[in-house]
Amino acid sequence: MASTDIEYKSTSTPPPPAGLDYFIVDVILRFLLLAASVVALGVIVSSDQTELVLFQGTLVPQPAKFQHSPAFVYFVAAFSVSGLYALVSALASVAVIQKPEFKLKFLLNFIFWDTLILGIIASATGAAGTVAYIGLKGNSHMGWIKVCNVYDKFCRHLAGSIAVALFGSIVTVLLIWLSAFTIHSRIPK
Amino acid sequence: MTTHTKTNLDGVHSDVKVVEKPTKERSHDLFLRFLGLSLTLVATILVGVDNQTKVISYAEMKFRATAKWEYMSAMVFFVVSNAIACSYAAASLVITVMARSSGTRKSDFTDLVITALDLVLMALLFSANGAACAVGLIAQKGNKHLQWMKVCDVFDTYCRHMTAALVLSIIGSSVFLLLVLHSVLKLHYRSRS
Repeated sequence: MASTDIEYKSTSTPPPPAGLDYFIVDVILRFLLLAASVVALGVIVSSDQTELVLFQGTLVPQPAKFQHSPAFVYFVAAFSVSGLYALVSALASVAVIQKPEFKLKFLLNFIFWDTLILGIIASATGAAGTVAYIGLKGNSHMGWIKVCNVYDKFCRHLAGSIAVALFGSIVTVLLIWLSAFTIHSRIPK
Repeated sequence: MTTHTKTNLDGVHSDVKVVEKPTKERSHDLFLRFLGLSLTLVATILVGVDNQTKVISYAEMKFRATAKWEYMSAMVFFVVSNAIACSYAAASLVITVMARSSGTRKSDFTDLVITALDLVLMALLFSANGAACAVGLIAQKGNKHLQWMKVCDVFDTYCRHMTAALVLSIIGSSVFLLLVLHSVLKLHYRSRS
Protein backbone atom coordinates (compact mmCIF):
# COMPACT_ATOMS: atom_id res chain seq x y z
CA MET A 1 0.00 0.00 0.00
CA ALA A 2 1.53 3.27 -1.07
CA SER A 3 1.67 5.96 1.54
CA THR A 4 -0.99 8.57 0.96
CA ASP A 5 -2.20 11.67 2.68
CA ILE A 6 -5.18 11.29 4.93
CA GLU A 7 -8.34 12.17 2.99
CA TYR A 8 -11.69 13.11 4.40
CA LYS A 9 -14.79 12.11 2.54
CA SER A 10 -17.24 14.37 4.40
CA THR A 11 -17.82 17.78 2.92
CA SER A 12 -19.23 19.63 5.93
CA THR A 13 -15.91 20.10 7.75
CA PRO A 14 -12.93 21.60 5.99
CA PRO A 15 -10.23 19.04 5.16
CA PRO A 16 -7.48 18.97 7.78
CA PRO A 17 -3.88 19.61 6.80
CA ALA A 18 -2.00 16.59 5.59
CA GLY A 19 -1.20 14.35 8.52
CA LEU A 20 1.10 11.38 8.57
CA ASP A 21 0.19 8.00 7.26
CA TYR A 22 0.32 6.70 10.74
CA PHE A 23 -2.12 3.83 10.78
CA ILE A 24 0.35 1.42 9.18
CA VAL A 25 2.89 2.04 11.95
CA ASP A 26 0.04 1.88 14.45
CA VAL A 27 -1.03 -1.57 13.24
CA ILE A 28 2.56 -2.83 13.35
CA LEU A 29 3.05 -1.55 16.89
CA ARG A 30 -0.21 -3.09 18.04
CA PHE A 31 0.72 -6.47 16.63
CA LEU A 32 4.09 -6.11 18.40
CA LEU A 33 2.23 -5.47 21.65
CA LEU A 34 0.09 -8.54 21.03
CA ALA A 35 3.18 -10.63 20.38
CA ALA A 36 4.92 -9.30 23.50
CA SER A 37 1.88 -10.02 25.69
CA VAL A 38 1.48 -13.55 24.35
CA VAL A 39 5.19 -14.32 24.76
CA ALA A 40 5.29 -12.91 28.29
CA LEU A 41 2.25 -14.98 29.24
CA GLY A 42 3.54 -18.15 27.67
CA VAL A 43 6.94 -17.90 29.30
CA ILE A 44 5.66 -17.24 32.78
CA VAL A 45 2.93 -19.85 32.68
CA SER A 46 5.40 -22.54 31.66
CA SER A 47 7.84 -21.73 34.45
CA ASP A 48 6.96 -24.45 36.97
CA GLN A 49 9.90 -26.19 38.56
CA THR A 50 10.19 -28.77 41.32
CA GLU A 51 13.42 -29.15 43.25
CA LEU A 52 14.60 -31.20 46.20
CA VAL A 53 14.89 -28.82 49.13
CA LEU A 54 16.15 -29.44 52.63
CA PHE A 55 13.09 -28.89 54.78
CA GLN A 56 13.11 -29.75 58.49
CA GLY A 57 15.89 -32.27 58.15
CA THR A 58 14.72 -34.23 55.11
CA LEU A 59 14.90 -33.63 51.40
CA VAL A 60 11.41 -33.01 50.06
CA PRO A 61 10.46 -31.97 46.52
CA GLN A 62 9.07 -28.47 46.65
CA PRO A 63 7.45 -26.90 43.57
CA ALA A 64 7.82 -23.29 42.53
CA LYS A 65 4.93 -22.03 40.45
CA PHE A 66 3.87 -18.56 39.43
CA GLN A 67 0.63 -18.94 41.43
CA HIS A 68 2.64 -18.87 44.66
CA SER A 69 3.01 -15.12 44.58
CA PRO A 70 0.11 -12.70 44.09
CA ALA A 71 2.39 -10.34 42.15
CA PHE A 72 2.88 -12.98 39.44
CA VAL A 73 -0.85 -13.76 39.36
CA TYR A 74 -1.51 -10.05 38.81
CA PHE A 75 1.15 -10.07 36.08
CA VAL A 76 -0.59 -12.91 34.25
CA ALA A 77 -4.01 -11.24 34.59
CA ALA A 78 -2.71 -7.85 33.41
CA PHE A 79 -1.03 -9.29 30.34
CA SER A 80 -4.06 -11.36 29.45
CA VAL A 81 -6.07 -8.13 29.40
CA SER A 82 -3.34 -6.41 27.42
CA GLY A 83 -3.13 -9.21 24.85
CA LEU A 84 -6.89 -9.19 24.32
CA TYR A 85 -6.89 -5.39 24.03
CA ALA A 86 -3.99 -5.45 21.56
CA LEU A 87 -5.79 -7.97 19.39
CA VAL A 88 -9.08 -6.03 19.35
CA SER A 89 -7.42 -2.68 18.72
CA ALA A 90 -5.12 -4.07 16.01
CA LEU A 91 -8.14 -5.43 14.16
CA ALA A 92 -9.95 -2.11 14.65
CA SER A 93 -6.93 -0.25 13.32
CA VAL A 94 -6.78 -2.50 10.25
CA ALA A 95 -10.49 -1.85 9.66
CA VAL A 96 -9.96 1.91 9.94
CA ILE A 97 -7.42 1.78 7.12
CA GLN A 98 -10.20 0.52 4.87
CA LYS A 99 -12.63 3.24 5.94
CA PRO A 100 -10.71 6.46 6.54
CA GLU A 101 -13.67 8.53 7.69
CA PHE A 102 -13.60 7.00 11.19
CA LYS A 103 -9.99 7.92 11.79
CA LEU A 104 -10.45 10.81 14.18
CA LYS A 105 -12.92 9.04 16.44
CA PHE A 106 -10.69 6.00 16.61
CA LEU A 107 -7.67 8.13 17.41
CA LEU A 108 -9.22 9.54 20.56
CA ASN A 109 -10.58 6.17 21.68
CA PHE A 110 -7.21 4.53 21.09
CA ILE A 111 -5.36 7.08 23.17
CA PHE A 112 -7.75 6.73 26.11
CA TRP A 113 -7.65 2.93 26.26
CA ASP A 114 -3.93 2.83 25.48
CA THR A 115 -3.21 5.03 28.47
CA LEU A 116 -5.25 2.83 30.79
CA ILE A 117 -3.57 -0.32 29.50
CA LEU A 118 -0.17 1.35 29.91
CA GLY A 119 -0.95 2.00 33.57
CA ILE A 120 -1.98 -1.63 34.14
CA ILE A 121 1.02 -3.05 32.28
CA ALA A 122 3.54 -0.76 33.96
CA SER A 123 2.32 -1.62 37.43
CA ALA A 124 2.29 -5.35 36.61
CA THR A 125 5.87 -5.16 35.33
CA GLY A 126 6.98 -3.28 38.43
CA ALA A 127 5.30 -5.70 40.82
CA ALA A 128 6.62 -8.86 39.15
CA GLY A 129 10.04 -7.31 38.69
CA THR A 130 10.44 -6.42 42.32
CA VAL A 131 9.34 -9.82 43.62
CA ALA A 132 11.69 -11.52 41.16
CA TYR A 133 14.50 -9.22 42.30
CA ILE A 134 13.91 -10.21 45.92
CA GLY A 135 13.96 -13.83 44.83
CA LEU A 136 17.25 -13.20 43.06
CA LYS A 137 19.14 -11.29 45.71
CA GLY A 138 17.23 -11.93 48.92
CA ASN A 139 16.84 -9.27 51.59
CA SER A 140 18.95 -9.76 54.69
CA HIS A 141 17.27 -6.95 56.63
CA MET A 142 13.87 -8.58 56.38
CA GLY A 143 15.14 -12.13 56.64
CA TRP A 144 13.98 -13.12 53.15
CA ILE A 145 16.27 -15.68 51.56
CA LYS A 146 17.08 -15.79 47.89
CA VAL A 147 15.59 -18.67 45.99
CA CYS A 148 17.09 -18.30 42.53
CA ASN A 149 20.15 -20.36 43.33
CA VAL A 150 17.86 -23.34 43.82
CA TYR A 151 15.13 -22.69 41.27
CA ASP A 152 17.19 -21.66 38.26
CA LYS A 153 14.75 -22.47 35.44
CA PHE A 154 11.93 -20.67 37.30
CA CYS A 155 14.03 -17.55 37.69
CA ARG A 156 15.21 -17.65 34.07
CA HIS A 157 11.62 -17.81 32.85
CA LEU A 158 10.65 -14.96 35.14
CA ALA A 159 13.53 -12.82 33.91
CA GLY A 160 12.64 -13.42 30.27
CA SER A 161 8.97 -12.75 30.85
CA ILE A 162 9.63 -9.48 32.68
CA ALA A 163 12.06 -8.33 29.98
CA VAL A 164 9.44 -8.94 27.30
CA ALA A 165 6.88 -7.14 29.47
CA LEU A 166 9.17 -4.13 29.69
CA PHE A 167 9.44 -4.16 25.89
CA GLY A 168 5.64 -4.32 25.68
CA SER A 169 5.22 -1.26 27.90
CA ILE A 170 7.76 0.68 25.80
CA VAL A 171 5.73 -0.27 22.71
CA THR A 172 2.59 1.09 24.40
CA VAL A 173 4.37 4.36 25.20
CA LEU A 174 5.41 4.62 21.53
CA LEU A 175 1.81 3.98 20.45
CA ILE A 176 0.50 6.83 22.57
CA TRP A 177 3.30 9.13 21.38
CA LEU A 178 2.34 8.30 17.79
CA SER A 179 -1.34 9.06 18.37
CA ALA A 180 -0.56 12.33 20.18
CA PHE A 181 1.81 13.39 17.41
CA THR A 182 -0.83 12.64 14.78
CA ILE A 183 -3.39 14.77 16.58
CA HIS A 184 -0.79 17.53 16.92
CA SER A 185 0.02 17.44 13.20
CA ARG A 186 -3.60 18.13 12.39
CA ILE A 187 -3.50 21.51 14.14
CA PRO A 188 -4.02 24.10 11.41
CA LYS A 189 -1.09 26.41 11.08
CA MET B 1 -22.01 28.74 13.09
CA THR B 2 -25.39 30.03 14.19
CA THR B 3 -27.36 32.95 12.89
CA HIS B 4 -29.04 35.38 15.25
CA THR B 5 -31.23 38.25 14.30
CA LYS B 6 -30.23 41.34 16.14
CA THR B 7 -32.42 44.39 16.47
CA ASN B 8 -30.65 47.67 16.93
CA LEU B 9 -32.09 50.58 18.83
CA ASP B 10 -33.39 52.30 15.72
CA GLY B 11 -35.31 49.23 14.63
CA VAL B 12 -32.95 48.03 11.90
CA HIS B 13 -32.69 44.30 11.70
CA SER B 14 -29.33 42.87 10.95
CA ASP B 15 -28.28 39.31 10.75
CA VAL B 16 -25.36 38.54 12.96
CA LYS B 17 -23.42 35.40 12.41
CA VAL B 18 -21.96 34.07 15.60
CA VAL B 19 -19.01 31.77 15.18
CA GLU B 20 -18.92 29.49 18.16
CA LYS B 21 -15.69 27.86 19.16
CA PRO B 22 -16.18 24.10 19.49
CA THR B 23 -15.55 24.30 23.18
CA LYS B 24 -13.77 26.60 25.54
CA GLU B 25 -10.15 25.87 26.30
CA ARG B 26 -9.99 24.32 29.72
CA SER B 27 -7.03 25.16 31.88
CA HIS B 28 -7.47 22.70 34.69
CA ASP B 29 -4.07 21.24 34.08
CA LEU B 30 -2.35 23.77 36.34
CA PHE B 31 -4.52 22.60 39.20
CA LEU B 32 -3.88 18.96 38.30
CA ARG B 33 -0.14 19.52 38.16
CA PHE B 34 -0.15 21.21 41.53
CA LEU B 35 -2.19 18.36 43.00
CA GLY B 36 0.21 15.77 41.56
CA LEU B 37 3.16 17.76 42.87
CA SER B 38 1.81 17.92 46.40
CA LEU B 39 0.75 14.26 46.54
CA THR B 40 4.07 12.89 45.32
CA LEU B 41 5.93 15.32 47.57
CA VAL B 42 4.08 14.09 50.64
CA ALA B 43 4.60 10.44 49.63
CA THR B 44 8.34 10.98 49.13
CA ILE B 45 8.82 12.77 52.42
CA LEU B 46 6.72 10.25 54.32
CA VAL B 47 8.72 7.28 53.08
CA GLY B 48 12.08 9.03 53.16
CA VAL B 49 11.90 10.21 56.73
CA ASP B 50 10.03 7.42 58.42
CA ASN B 51 11.83 4.70 60.32
CA GLN B 52 11.10 2.39 63.19
CA THR B 53 13.47 0.55 65.49
CA LYS B 54 12.43 -2.43 67.53
CA VAL B 55 14.27 -4.71 69.89
CA ILE B 56 13.62 -8.29 68.87
CA SER B 57 14.33 -11.08 71.27
CA TYR B 58 14.92 -14.37 69.56
CA ALA B 59 16.17 -17.43 71.42
CA GLU B 60 17.55 -15.44 74.37
CA MET B 61 19.37 -13.00 72.10
CA LYS B 62 18.26 -9.43 71.78
CA PHE B 63 19.09 -7.38 68.75
CA ARG B 64 17.78 -4.15 67.38
CA ALA B 65 16.18 -4.17 63.98
CA THR B 66 15.46 -1.01 62.05
CA ALA B 67 13.03 -0.58 59.21
CA LYS B 68 14.06 2.14 56.78
CA TRP B 69 13.49 2.75 53.12
CA GLU B 70 17.12 2.15 52.21
CA TYR B 71 16.93 -1.46 53.25
CA MET B 72 14.53 -2.49 50.51
CA SER B 73 15.19 -1.93 46.82
CA ALA B 74 11.50 -1.55 45.98
CA MET B 75 11.22 1.33 48.45
CA VAL B 76 14.32 2.95 46.96
CA PHE B 77 12.63 2.74 43.55
CA PHE B 78 9.44 4.19 45.06
CA VAL B 79 11.19 7.15 46.70
CA VAL B 80 13.32 7.94 43.66
CA SER B 81 10.42 7.77 41.25
CA ASN B 82 8.15 9.90 43.43
CA ALA B 83 10.95 12.46 43.79
CA ILE B 84 11.40 12.56 40.01
CA ALA B 85 7.64 12.94 39.51
CA CYS B 86 7.48 15.75 42.08
CA SER B 87 10.31 17.75 40.53
CA TYR B 88 8.93 17.12 37.03
CA ALA B 89 5.50 18.38 38.13
CA ALA B 90 7.11 21.56 39.47
CA ALA B 91 9.18 22.11 36.32
CA SER B 92 6.29 21.44 33.96
CA LEU B 93 4.06 23.77 35.98
CA VAL B 94 6.55 26.59 35.41
CA ILE B 95 7.04 25.71 31.73
CA THR B 96 3.30 25.48 31.06
CA VAL B 97 2.63 28.85 32.65
CA MET B 98 5.46 30.44 30.66
CA ALA B 99 4.40 28.83 27.39
CA ARG B 100 0.79 29.77 27.82
CA SER B 101 1.65 33.44 28.34
CA SER B 102 3.89 33.57 25.29
CA GLY B 103 1.36 32.71 22.61
CA THR B 104 -0.27 29.77 20.92
CA ARG B 105 2.08 28.92 18.07
CA LYS B 106 5.14 28.05 20.08
CA SER B 107 3.13 26.60 22.92
CA ASP B 108 1.76 23.85 20.67
CA PHE B 109 5.11 22.11 20.40
CA THR B 110 5.85 22.67 24.09
CA ASP B 111 2.50 21.12 24.97
CA LEU B 112 3.27 18.09 22.84
CA VAL B 113 6.63 17.55 24.54
CA ILE B 114 5.09 18.03 27.97
CA THR B 115 2.38 15.50 27.11
CA ALA B 116 4.97 12.95 26.01
CA LEU B 117 6.99 13.44 29.21
CA ASP B 118 3.81 13.27 31.31
CA LEU B 119 3.16 9.87 29.80
CA VAL B 120 6.60 8.52 30.63
CA LEU B 121 6.40 9.82 34.19
CA MET B 122 2.95 8.32 34.60
CA ALA B 123 4.22 4.90 33.52
CA LEU B 124 7.22 5.19 35.87
CA LEU B 125 5.00 6.19 38.78
CA PHE B 126 2.54 3.35 38.14
CA SER B 127 5.39 0.86 38.02
CA ALA B 128 6.84 2.17 41.31
CA ASN B 129 3.40 1.87 42.91
CA GLY B 130 3.08 -1.71 41.72
CA ALA B 131 6.52 -2.54 43.11
CA ALA B 132 5.85 -0.97 46.53
CA CYS B 133 2.46 -2.65 46.68
CA ALA B 134 3.94 -6.08 45.92
CA VAL B 135 6.65 -5.69 48.55
CA GLY B 136 4.15 -4.39 51.07
CA LEU B 137 1.95 -7.39 50.43
CA ILE B 138 4.83 -9.79 51.10
CA ALA B 139 5.70 -7.85 54.27
CA GLN B 140 2.09 -7.95 55.41
CA LYS B 141 1.17 -11.53 54.63
CA GLY B 142 4.44 -13.36 54.16
CA ASN B 143 4.87 -16.01 51.51
CA LYS B 144 5.08 -19.51 52.91
CA HIS B 145 5.90 -21.14 49.58
CA LEU B 146 9.06 -19.12 49.29
CA GLN B 147 9.73 -19.08 53.05
CA TRP B 148 9.49 -15.30 53.39
CA MET B 149 8.17 -14.35 56.81
CA LYS B 150 5.87 -11.43 57.37
CA VAL B 151 7.42 -8.46 59.15
CA CYS B 152 4.43 -6.16 59.62
CA ASP B 153 3.48 -7.71 62.93
CA VAL B 154 6.77 -6.40 64.31
CA PHE B 155 6.96 -3.04 62.53
CA ASP B 156 3.31 -2.11 62.72
CA THR B 157 3.45 1.71 62.62
CA TYR B 158 6.03 1.59 59.84
CA CYS B 159 3.74 -0.62 57.76
CA ARG B 160 0.82 1.71 58.35
CA HIS B 161 2.84 4.72 57.25
CA MET B 162 3.99 2.88 54.15
CA THR B 163 0.41 2.00 53.29
CA ALA B 164 -0.61 5.64 53.61
CA ALA B 165 2.28 6.76 51.39
CA LEU B 166 1.35 4.12 48.82
CA VAL B 167 -2.28 5.27 48.73
CA LEU B 168 -1.13 8.88 48.27
CA SER B 169 1.17 7.85 45.47
CA ILE B 170 -1.60 5.89 43.74
CA ILE B 171 -3.83 8.95 43.83
CA GLY B 172 -0.92 11.02 42.53
CA SER B 173 -0.33 8.67 39.62
CA SER B 174 -4.00 8.74 38.68
CA VAL B 175 -3.70 12.55 38.70
CA PHE B 176 -0.85 12.14 36.18
CA LEU B 177 -3.13 9.87 34.12
CA LEU B 178 -5.82 12.56 34.13
CA LEU B 179 -3.17 15.08 33.09
CA VAL B 180 -2.23 13.01 30.04
CA LEU B 181 -5.86 12.64 29.02
CA HIS B 182 -6.46 16.34 29.56
CA SER B 183 -3.46 17.31 27.43
CA VAL B 184 -4.56 15.00 24.63
CA LEU B 185 -8.08 16.40 24.72
CA LYS B 186 -6.68 19.92 24.60
CA LEU B 187 -4.59 19.03 21.53
CA HIS B 188 -7.67 17.52 19.94
CA TYR B 189 -9.82 20.58 20.52
CA ARG B 190 -7.08 22.81 19.22
CA SER B 191 -6.84 20.75 16.06
CA ARG B 192 -10.58 21.03 15.50
CA SER B 193 -10.84 24.78 15.92
